[in-house]
Amino acid sequence: MDARERLNQLKEKFGPAIVRADLPDERRLFVHVDPGVVKAVCRYVFRDLDARYVISVGTDDRQYSGSFQVYHDFAFDADKILCSIITHASSDNPKVECISDVVAGASWAEREIRDMFGVESVGHPYPKRLVLTDGWPDGLYPLRKDMDWNFVPKEYDEEREFKFDETPAGCTVVPFGPFHPTLDEPAHFRLYVEGEVVRGCEYRGFMVHRGIEKLSETVLSYNDIPMMAERICGICGCVHSVAYVQAVEAGAALKIPPRAEYMRSIMLEIERLHSHLLWVGLACHLVGFDTLFMQSWRIREPIMWMAEKITGNRKTYALCQVGGVRWDITPELRGELRTLLDKLESEWIPVVSAVLKDKNIQKRTRDVGVADKKMCKEMGLVGPVARAAGVDIDCRRDHPYAAYERVDFDVITHDTSDVWGRVVVRAKEVFESIKIVRQCLDKMEPGPLQLEITDELPAGRLGLSSVEAPRGESHHFVITGENNKPRRWRVRAPTYQNLQGVPGMIKDQMIADMQISLGSIDPCFSCTDRLETVDIRSGETRVWTPEELKKVARSKQY
Amino acid sequence: MDNNLLSMILGGVANVVVILLLAPFFQGVLRKVTARIQSRQGPPIPQPYYDTFKLLGKEDIESGVSPRMQRFATYLSLAAILAVGCLVPMGFHSPMNGAGDAVLLIYLLTLSGICVLLAGLAAGSTYSLVGISREMMTMLTLEPLFAITIVIGALHTQSFRLDTVLSGAVYQTAGVPVSGLIMLCVMLLSFQAFVARLPFDISEAETEIMEGPLIEYSGPKLAIFKYAQMAKLVVFSALFIGLFVPWGSELPFPFGWLLFWVKVFVIVILVTVVAATHARYRIDQAIRFFAALLGVGFVALILASNGL
Repeated sequence: MDARERLNQLKEKFGPAIVRADLPDERRLFVHVDPGVVKAVCRYVFRDLDARYVISVGTDDRQYSGSFQVYHDFAFDADKILCSIITHASSDNPKVECISDVVAGASWAEREIRDMFGVESVGHPYPKRLVLTDGWPDGLYPLRKDMDWNFVPKEYDEEREFKFDETPAGCTVVPFGPFHPTLDEPAHFRLYVEGEVVRGCEYRGFMVHRGIEKLSETVLSYNDIPMMAERICGICGCVHSVAYVQAVEAGAALKIPPRAEYMRSIMLEIERLHSHLLWVGLACHLVGFDTLFMQSWRIREPIMWMAEKITGNRKTYALCQVGGVRWDITPELRGELRTLLDKLESEWIPVVSAVLKDKNIQKRTRDVGVADKKMCKEMGLVGPVARAAGVDIDCRRDHPYAAYERVDFDVITHDTSDVWGRVVVRAKEVFESIKIVRQCLDKMEPGPLQLEITDELPAGRLGLSSVEAPRGESHHFVITGENNKPRRWRVRAPTYQNLQGVPGMIKDQMIADMQISLGSIDPCFSCTDRLETVDIRSGETRVWTPEELKKVARSKQY
Repeated sequence: MDNNLLSMILGGVANVVVILLLAPFFQGVLRKVTARIQSRQGPPIPQPYYDTFKLLGKEDIESGVSPRMQRFATYLSLAAILAVGCLVPMGFHSPMNGAGDAVLLIYLLTLSGICVLLAGLAAGSTYSLVGISREMMTMLTLEPLFAITIVIGALHTQSFRLDTVLSGAVYQTAGVPVSGLIMLCVMLLSFQAFVARLPFDISEAETEIMEGPLIEYSGPKLAIFKYAQMAKLVVFSALFIGLFVPWGSELPFPFGWLLFWVKVFVIVILVTVVAATHARYRIDQAIRFFAALLGVGFVALILASNGL
């Protein structure tokens, strides 16, 4: 079914409530709907047409249409279609229908829209602050166009504290984070624990939100942003830069040269190789199996050297520009890369067969952190988490980009829905990546790396792009704009959805399984700067301010 | 009599000195071998000596809810394990033979577990409390195994004397020593837990509860606690040798003594290899495992009381 047929389905069902529709090509669908039927349309798309929820994006469109706009992005994976359901809210009292009660995975996105634009989702089941810091005053919305990027509110309140929900009866609180040896970045899970069993948790993150999206709309230009996008993540940076440029290219209808597409595929797969090997190592470390951790990282290291030879850097490849890429593979490097892949494959085979046979690892990962098909659908979980539950999705095949349509590979799935399944999926995906890079090297023809762009990019066009990051689908949403910069750029990293699945995964599990469950989604969060002490006996909670902490640290008394 | 007392004291001191001197060496061997298994270079073998000296020279910071108890737990843990060292034959016969019997040994072994509890309580953090609850569960299921082994030896020989029990008493039956062999297997399977190494380092589990009871320790106190853990490996190896593989100890001086340390070395290598090839168990899995061993232990005890 192509985009037009999907649109006809919607028109048949909702008639005049479908105000306007754009079909830039057969794989993209933008539907403007009447604000009164958003929930009904989303329910129909999500439940009856069985689309996968991707993200909701808010934009400040007051300059152009006099209203705020909210985009609900869905994916029809089997039809290779990405679709936006678009609605608007009046500028003086912005309110939209809430869809979280229909699509549970939209909860964070709607809270973020409320924080950043002040667009209220009427009837949201849990309208708590999500992204903004605790001290940020109410009623100031950072992503509105009338707020400067460097604005510092005078009413900022250092003393204001985050209020956690009430601890359930009979539970003690075990703070997991903000700083914990198994978290590569700070994030706070407040676990409610009964004995050794986790009964629930509350998450507080986003504390050091870097405002990358705001910067990109104000001080950066189209070709600065790929470098910024790359710095969103220390592991899958190339994914973000590719996803961003693809979104711009889709919006402006640019077709890049084939060699550039192959280069993008090769670097994305090199990134996936190093990321998966890194993750297998970390997962082993989490369950205390350091030998495999070390072996896996030893095997990974030559990939980093190869990336450095091609791009000049182990990470942050600075590969992409709008319309092409900046680096090429020389014939010598091509030979070296082939040798490297052979060696990698021969070293990875014994590791995988050792892991798959190891009862000890299975004991720690089977039936742990379970996210079944239903949960994947409800929360919009993606990547190895979904594939381990037997959900057969992979953007490389479902929403083909770069050179993936010209290569042959399998999408690895598993049926256990647990951490073990995620281990198996990632371990086997390494072989698929090797296969893809080999085919790209075979099929690449000499040619230009960069499209010549002579005209200014048209403004006000919508671009969607989904890239399969090692952790799942990374979705970028761009509205092109004036002055050589986008009007709006929204990044949805895979962890944004997967993290919302974690409370469901760890419920009624042992504390010892928390690490590996959280680790199994390969989380990538922003930072936080909060410390809390909990007095178990009296149940009292005390939150330290930065000043108190400094004083205590200096006095060496406590 | 005086002569006897003197040899007791000298023997005890000798044991303590040897343990203190050699414990970091074995830790160094353990780290080096682990590194080689993991394709790493690894630290030089004397590294644990350097680490200990460095920590001892650091500032002594008081922290946790009860700094006094924290200090006390530190000293007690080293003292308890060294006291066990005085009771165990280490290449010679047991120096404090007349001063205590096998029952005292059981008490002292429990004491070193108690120190971990005290340390955890003194820190008072959530992680350390989780750690000590795990340690408690482990202790309750694990400690009886040692007691059972000693009682089986005592049943066979009708004696709680240290030099009798700790020279292979578990095998001293008329026919095939069924109970002794069963206990040998049980102790081999649980040895990692007694020396708190992977896959049973659950109460410290760095990646889960950040070293649990040790969370508030630093500087000299940490050095002493770590020292006690290193000594524990040596002392428990010596105990294992005394209980199950005592042969060769009666050889004339340098040979019997050297043979003893060769055995310790082999046990350390064994511990290292097992630790390097296993993932950590979860506490409930470990307890189930220990409980099964305990059941087998009781069967062995029943067999032993029937002369098998």
